[in-house]
Amino acid sequence: MQTPRPGRSILDRALLTSWIVAIVIAAVLAPSHPYDALSLLAGQLIAFLHFMFLRKIVKIFTEKRKGAGRFILTKLVLVYGGLMALIGWGKAGYAPLCAGFALPFLTLFLKSMMLAFGAGPASLTRRGTPVHRAGAGAGAGGAAALALILLALAAASPARAEEPLPTANGAHGTVTGQASHPQPVTHAAEAQHEEGAAELPNWLVILHDWNPGNPVIDWLDKNQIIVFAWIAGLLFLFISWLAMRNAKMVPGVLQNAVEWMVESMESIAGGLLGEKHIQRHFPIIGALFFYILTINMLGIIPGMKSATSSLDLTLALALITFLYVQFWGIRNLGIIGYLDHLAGSPRDAIGWAMLPVMLPVHVLGELAKPVSLSCRLFGNIFGEDTLIVVFVGATAVLIKASLVALAVPPMAGITALFMMLQTLTSIVQALIFSLLATVYLYMMLPHEEHGHEESNAEAHATL
Amino acid sequence: MLFPAALGLGLPLGIGLAAIGSGIGIGFLGKGAMEAMGRQPEILPKLQVAMIIGFGFAEALTIYAFVTMFFLQGRIG
Repeated sequence: MQTPRPGRSILDRALLTSWIVAIVIAAVLAPSHPYDALSLLAGQLIAFLHFMFLRKIVKIFTEKRKGAGRFILTKLVLVYGGLMALIGWGKAGYAPLCAGFALPFLTLFLKSMMLAFGAGPASLTRRGTPVHRAGAGAGAGGAAALALILLALAAASPARAEEPLPTANGAHGTVTGQASHPQPVTHAAEAQHEEGAAELPNWLVILHDWNPGNPVIDWLDKNQIIVFAWIAGLLFLFISWLAMRNAKMVPGVLQNAVEWMVESMESIAGGLLGEKHIQRHFPIIGALFFYILTINMLGIIPGMKSATSSLDLTLALALITFLYVQFWGIRNLGIIGYLDHLAGSPRDAIGWAMLPVMLPVHVLGELAKPVSLSCRLFGNIFGEDTLIVVFVGATAVLIKASLVALAVPPMAGITALFMMLQTLTSIVQALIFSLLATVYLYMMLPHEEHGHEESNAEAHATL
Repeated sequence: MLFPAALGLGLPLGIGLAAIGSGIGIGFLGKGAMEAMGRQPEILPKLQVAMIIGFGFAEALTIYAFVTMFFLQGRIG
């Protein structure tokens, strides 16, 4: 394992690296363009001095010692004076000078990027040291998951404009007028208020119909998806708060139920991901599962709508999953290991020969994941909703033909049946989404048990 | 053939064809899982998870056709 985060020494190491790079470049340039090489080195020297003086001055200021003025003066003279002198000299090219000056900054930036991806200098080649911090990690992961969910909500909003999907035709399109008949009828009748809306009216639509021209309700109606996503998120938070408000060793009913759900989800995902990784990654997997489950289930309640029946929200969730998986891939495999993974881990001549084919294939495969994730969830939930709408619409048609007694009981029965099916679909789709996220994550994580390549190849072959 | 007419014919047909494929896939998956369950009931939980994931992949193919239908349905006219 690496030493604790190199905080201070990173500047030193970055400067050293930049010196080495500068000298190598200068040595390459020297035979053909001696002046350019020299000015590159001069720029590097000036940037180096700049950093050294800056550090000294910061130190003096933070430790409240005297003599800052002297140092600042020296720095001004040496660094900026030197720069002016170099430019005034005229023979130094601007481009190499600037390149030399920018070199330490660039190195520092790259170093800090590497740090952000979770490793010290060895991150380029690191493979398979599992990052495993149970306690603090879970808390941070939970916070990250929550932030990601909020991001999803924010991301889901813009494309709402194309929401009225073009599904105007069908049986219920012919029904007009308000009916004050039994229950399924009112649904269908209200559905006709909005021309061409192929969905059951939710309370926002009804509110909008009652208060035309109210800007707030207008806005809410336009952003239905985000409103219902927020409702689901708040419901999710509220239930978990209610269950865990005063957690006891001998749990009450609600606490028991919630704990059972979380534990069984953790054991399912843990069976795929392994004991070690699940503690680190369960917060996001569990958040995805329960959030999607809440959203899906919300659609069963009359007057509500599942926000996942819009491609916007599912695409946002899938993109979050995608970014998370790629981030952990880079963090765990290292940048070179990640590229190697993308190239299909070439180890022999055939592998290298196949590289131009395998690399695009793997990159496309990675990009296809969020698309398939989002389309699957959206298609399932929207299809299920549409199915119910079609049957309710058929009921409305039959009622228009004054066949109430004949039509309503069987149609209500069928609709209830499909609602049960919808419950099942909701659970299964939430499970599939989070399990697929787990599988994608699994393919990116190192495994000690039996060689990384084998299990990866296997996973690639099956998925 | 008119474009709307072609769409009106092709979209339901496409979904049906995709559903045949998915159905065959899910059927094979279910068959294999049931047989494995019968032979080794103790691996039930692991098997179920793998089975559900497999169902997801098989079913996704029909869902793609379904989503395509939603995007093109408005142009039937």
